[in-house]
Amino acid sequence: MSANAKAARNGRTTSLAAKIFLAIVALYLLVPFVTTFIYSLFVEWTDVLPSGFTLRNYIELFSNVTFWSSIGRTLVLCLVSVAITIVLLLLAMYVVVAVNRKLGRAMQFICMIPYALQGVILSIGIISLYTGTGTILSNRMVMLFGAYTILVLPYIYQGIRNALNAIDAEMLIQAAEMLGCGRFRAYVQVVLPNIISGILVSSLLAESIVFGDFVLANNIAGTNYQNIQVFLQANMDRSSGLSSAIVVIIFLVVGAVTATVLKLQSGTQKSKEE
Amino acid sequence: MSYIEFHDVVKRFGDNTVLDHISFGIEKGDLVTLLGPSGCGKSTLLRCLSGLEQVSEGSILLDGADITDVPASKRNIGMVFQQYSLFPNMNVEQNIAFGLKMQKVPQDVIDRKVREAIDMVELTGKEKAYPANLSGGQQQRAALARSIVTEPAVLLLDEPLSAIDAKLRRSLQARIREIQQELNLTTIFVTHDQDEAMVMSDVIQLFHAGRIEQAGTPVEVYTKPVSEFAASFIGSYNQLARDEFQAMTGASVPAGHVVAVRPETIAITADSPADVAGCHVVRGTVAGSTPRGNVLRYTVRVGAVTLRVDALFRSFHMFEPGQDVYLAIPEHDCLFIPAGALRDAA
Repeated sequence: MSANAKAARNGRTTSLAAKIFLAIVALYLLVPFVTTFIYSLFVEWTDVLPSGFTLRNYIELFSNVTFWSSIGRTLVLCLVSVAITIVLLLLAMYVVVAVNRKLGRAMQFICMIPYALQGVILSIGIISLYTGTGTILSNRMVMLFGAYTILVLPYIYQGIRNALNAIDAEMLIQAAEMLGCGRFRAYVQVVLPNIISGILVSSLLAESIVFGDFVLANNIAGTNYQNIQVFLQANMDRSSGLSSAIVVIIFLVVGAVTATVLKLQSGTQKSKEE
Repeated sequence: MSYIEFHDVVKRFGDNTVLDHISFGIEKGDLVTLLGPSGCGKSTLLRCLSGLEQVSEGSILLDGADITDVPASKRNIGMVFQQYSLFPNMNVEQNIAFGLKMQKVPQDVIDRKVREAIDMVELTGKEKAYPANLSGGQQQRAALARSIVTEPAVLLLDEPLSAIDAKLRRSLQARIREIQQELNLTTIFVTHDQDEAMVMSDVIQLFHAGRIEQAGTPVEVYTKPVSEFAASFIGSYNQLARDEFQAMTGASVPAGHVVAVRPETIAITADSPADVAGCHVVRGTVAGSTPRGNVLRYTVRVGAVTLRVDALFRSFHMFEPGQDVYLAIPEHDCLFIPAGALRDAA
């Protein structure tokens, strides 16, 4: 057997092993989702086998306006807080990249602080600090959006910073400057289009964190602005099948949002390669 | 008055003085090379001229106008960076058109100029390619086209060829020089490669530790180094202390000077040379040899002194290590240079 044929066979074996390994990991990750889904389809499951099959949980959920409202609120919370954080960070990072690089360390320190904050401490701190101040900040909704903006700060910061470093944003701005372009315009026209992928990926992570939060939403807004996690908690005592159905739908919604963003990202990438 | 003038330019980063009272002029249409080892301040001076760095003291004049405080985007200076710095989200055509769009040039003029620039740097067929799909040489040519298409007053090249392989590098050196002469474009080229500086420049400004060590045409700088640093950085001169040279040749050397001799000026023979008029003839032993393209560099020991001697690489006429040889050193090629503190350049 020639060396080339051997190498090709080794390559095929490695490729097959990699596929098997990935399939096992995917299966492992899907187990909780699939079992929750199966559980949500049965009437009673107190014995070895369930007593019957039903779509009742889903029918009840889909006809429940409160459920849809809580999904909608959660999406609004995700989009608005993540969007605010992205805009604030992009402006701040412009200053770091194009005006004063030394501020980068201070930015990093500030943006890492929320990692150390537990949800309970953050929510109680915000409530005790702003309640009764008579300003717009004492509004519970403003508090909630503000809290999520802080919560997702480190994740989005890291994504934007890594993307900026990967394209050497400072050098690109300088190159654009030498072609008669102002710094901010260069940041918008040259740098931002090249870090969109990084922003999208980090915002996905941030979105899933906001989607999964219960503590901040419950402590700060409670039933005034019920998100999906608070809705889940409120319905947990009613029926375990219903709770499972809610969890399945949370999975699907997060999955749909993720798939949409990734699709958009790969579409941008493809058109660039062509 | 020169086209570009640096007046007593000082640049400090904290306590570190990178440019130490630099003053010189550049004539219109010249290609001037700022040559020197890493960290000598040559790129910093280029960046001060571009406006990407502000000078700490002094002033810079371009065509009679003081541009010291003018923002980089308003100086009409083109620059090619070492890392190419093409915009990854734009194809070759869009990259080249970027500067023209900033100048609000009409679209039909942009199209024509972009086409001409692409032809000039020989990138025809790559108009729609993105930087990620171009080789290093193609990226550098696209960057060059992007910089010259706006017809800048000055073109700055910051070590643009340092990441490119030797063969392509030589062809790009020639192409850049051709384009520069064709457009009569005043160009400043930064490099640490003395061969590159020799090939491309009208004038070389040799930098050392934030100061200009020597300025002149490539031939002047090569044949008449004014300091030990210049001699060691340009041309691999043999540098001999006064005592060493006097002991080796018996000739006298002015006090406070060292002697610099270029390796290629020394003739190496197996037998005592017949015509020794105007030469110091010494006997030595070959210690080793290194092929350097068409030249063979011998290391020859003459007493306590080791000399580098270059000879044309003829495979039928080589000296073996341990072989006794005669060296004829022309007297007029022995340069007496004021002794400085530094003996070796980077």
